[in-house]
Amino acid sequence: MTRRSAVAWVAAAALLAGLPLVVKNSFFLHVCILVFLWTVLGEAWNALGGYAGQVSFGHAAFFGVGAYVTIVLFLKADVAPWWGIPVGGAAAAAFAVPFGLITFRLKGPYFSLATLAVAELTKLVALNWEWATNGSTGYLVTHLPPLRLGGLTVDWETKTPFYLAALSLLVVAMGTIGWLSRSRLGAWLTAIRENDEAAEAVGIDTVRAKVLTLALSAFLAGMGGGFYAFYFRYVDPDAVLNIGLSMEMVFIAMVGGLGTVGGPFIGAVFLTTVGEAMREKFQVGHLVFYGLFMMLVIRFLPEGIWGRVRRAIRRAPAVEVSRGAA
Amino acid sequence: MGALYAMIGIGLTIVFGVMRIINLAHGEFVMLGMFAAFWSQKLWGLDPFLSIVLWTPVLFGAGVLVYRFLLRRIIPGGELNTLLYTAGLSLLVANLALLLWSGDYRTLPLAYAVTPMRPLGVAVPVALAIGFAIAGAITLALWLFLSRTDAGRAIRATSQNPEAAVLMGIDVERVAALAFGLGTALAGAAGVLLAPSLYLYPTVGELLIVKSFVIVVLGGLGSVPGAIAGGILLGLVESLGAVYVSTTYKDGLGYVMFLLVLLYRPSGLFGVGKAG
Amino acid sequence: MALLEVEGLTRFFGGLRAVGDLTFGVEPGEILGLIGPNGAGKTTVFNLVTGFVRPSGGKVRLAGRDVTGLKPHRLARMGIARTFQIVKPFPGLPVRENVTLAAFLRHPRRSHAEAAADEILGRLGLAARAGTLAGQLTLMDQKRLEMAKALATGPRVLLLDEPMGGLNPAEVDQASELVLGIRASGVTVVLVEHVMKAIMRMSDRVLVMRQGERIALGAPAEVVRDPEVIAAYFGKRAA
Repeated sequence: MTRRSAVAWVAAAALLAGLPLVVKNSFFLHVCILVFLWTVLGEAWNALGGYAGQVSFGHAAFFGVGAYVTIVLFLKADVAPWWGIPVGGAAAAAFAVPFGLITFRLKGPYFSLATLAVAELTKLVALNWEWATNGSTGYLVTHLPPLRLGGLTVDWETKTPFYLAALSLLVVAMGTIGWLSRSRLGAWLTAIRENDEAAEAVGIDTVRAKVLTLALSAFLAGMGGGFYAFYFRYVDPDAVLNIGLSMEMVFIAMVGGLGTVGGPFIGAVFLTTVGEAMREKFQVGHLVFYGLFMMLVIRFLPEGIWGRVRRAIRRAPAVEVSRGAA
Repeated sequence: MGALYAMIGIGLTIVFGVMRIINLAHGEFVMLGMFAAFWSQKLWGLDPFLSIVLWTPVLFGAGVLVYRFLLRRIIPGGELNTLLYTAGLSLLVANLALLLWSGDYRTLPLAYAVTPMRPLGVAVPVALAIGFAIAGAITLALWLFLSRTDAGRAIRATSQNPEAAVLMGIDVERVAALAFGLGTALAGAAGVLLAPSLYLYPTVGELLIVKSFVIVVLGGLGSVPGAIAGGILLGLVESLGAVYVSTTYKDGLGYVMFLLVLLYRPSGLFGVGKAG
Repeated sequence: MALLEVEGLTRFFGGLRAVGDLTFGVEPGEILGLIGPNGAGKTTVFNLVTGFVRPSGGKVRLAGRDVTGLKPHRLARMGIARTFQIVKPFPGLPVRENVTLAAFLRHPRRSHAEAAADEILGRLGLAARAGTLAGQLTLMDQKRLEMAKALATGPRVLLLDEPMGGLNPAEVDQASELVLGIRASGVTVVLVEHVMKAIMRMSDRVLVMRQGERIALGAPAEVVRDPEVIAAYFGKRAA
């Protein structure tokens, strides 16, 4: 990353952090929170799906594990959300290790189907393991612990604290994926995406790289789940372990741009605004547009919106460089 | 029920065999078949076991059109793109159905099928028995088609070895369109036959596609006899599992079998098909 | 002592024995040619030695250390590299990135890996193609890239699977030069090839296989006089 783009990212984050001082409209803040949360989930999915080319249909499992662990810790052991959410993420990452060791024995579409099966099994366990999950009833959070920061008591009835928390998660997620995209691990993932056998032949431990990435991805998705639990104050298997959630993560990354850092943000804006508008207009069946857009994007814009824009921006200098070399 | 599941599985496996596509929208075609049966009875008073004659060719045509206008340009983009595309198609169709017909659970009662038959003292629902018989007949007809006609042989040759099929002068594009149409028609016909025995709702496809994947993977992806055997096996395991394991985890058994077979016997339990 | 030793190597596919009780050694710095009719099991030997297929029996040793059944990435780290008969580039990435990915094995820092990649691209005559997407190269350049990737992992032994397959005579000569250059840089080479003239000229020794078994091993001039080899290649009547 160049110095200038680093400054731009920091400035954007600072601007977003200052937004609630100016804008008090709680619906607007709510939409922003949703966008941030969806971006985090899209980034999480993109780490594995976009960079490593491993299409998971089971990411709801990590979201769900994060949500359950966070909320159970809070309700049964009084662990405050700001500790519980990272612990929930860590639990999801731990869950991802056996998940990955099983499913990564399969390649391509077989991997995708296996993730679907494991996620559905996870949901089934959550529905029936009453002792830990309270079955299909789920858990409700009735009050949040008081928190004082710099002499101010945080008011949980406003959106602002949630907005800032979601923004922090967003910064963590984008920072992580930004680091990944420039790291050796990230380079290895693109090799795996391009050709798994050739990657192995040049000395890349493909299984280890994939499992590590899955754990990282699950950590982010699990923290998203933990945040969800406290923002909506409600967790049950249908809400946090639904296959629809996995599909929405796929959608965000695909529409925004596979294997890009900025893509999921665009995808999340798109999903949240269009999705919410459609949800209001059509009580049922608003997912029609997800399906339609997924098909259109794959057919006409396989690199996603952000991927396309980025290529348009970079094109001009790239051509000059190659001319200079020739 | 097993024979009907097997029919859905055969459709899926033919499409996979010829095109190496895992069609996630397959369950939605079954759902369309169910609703077609429902509305033809409701609006025109057509019995499902008659309207199947109408809907099977219509769904065949729909399948060919879906292939020609939607799938054909996506397939060269790679199997994962195709998988995601069919996932999108599945969402689209299921939710269109939700918009059109709402999420209500409907039933399609048949006047003559209220009291079950009691051969040998075991209660067998009439609708299911007729459905079973017709599904058996269709499966047999399909088998004859695949083994006795040129078009059928071309399908089998292509699924065994696509490159060789091209060299032998088989028009792979046409075979693919035919196979996709056939797969859709089988799914739709199974839907029509299932309509009197299951609840109808727009997202019923989700449930059915999972079962049909289990069946197809059990029998070996791409293998028609494997799908039949897989259908029977899944039916057995589910009913035995409900008795001996637990009713709550009954649905999980299918997934567990699915994973175990994918991991340890990727060519299916009977070793006839070829996977990954 | 031989750098790479293969002892009693065996592999069954179902009931079919693809490689049977094969024993040979590769001396440091030599070029060992591996020839035999189609289906003799040459590529299977490569897959067994590089860890892509697990042996049913037998041992593989690198510099005296037992490496049988290790995964390909472990073997690559220990210094066994290979190319594929059907080239396997990372097609959507530029040539330079292809080689850099391989160089990461010995150079964790990107700048170092890129420098190593540039050096190898120059050596193999691919510098002008550094920015081209690997999927868009000509066959000859794809073969070069295949070798460049393998070399970038810093191997002690390099197994080349038909580096000349599909090339025209002029390109075969270029490829021969590349292989000799690789050996001159201190890398031991095992070469599977169908272009007889090239393999006989380049190899120090030749191993002849038929139906998964070794039928001859020796200097090219001796091997071509071996009656069993003649029978394998030209049929019983000629022998």
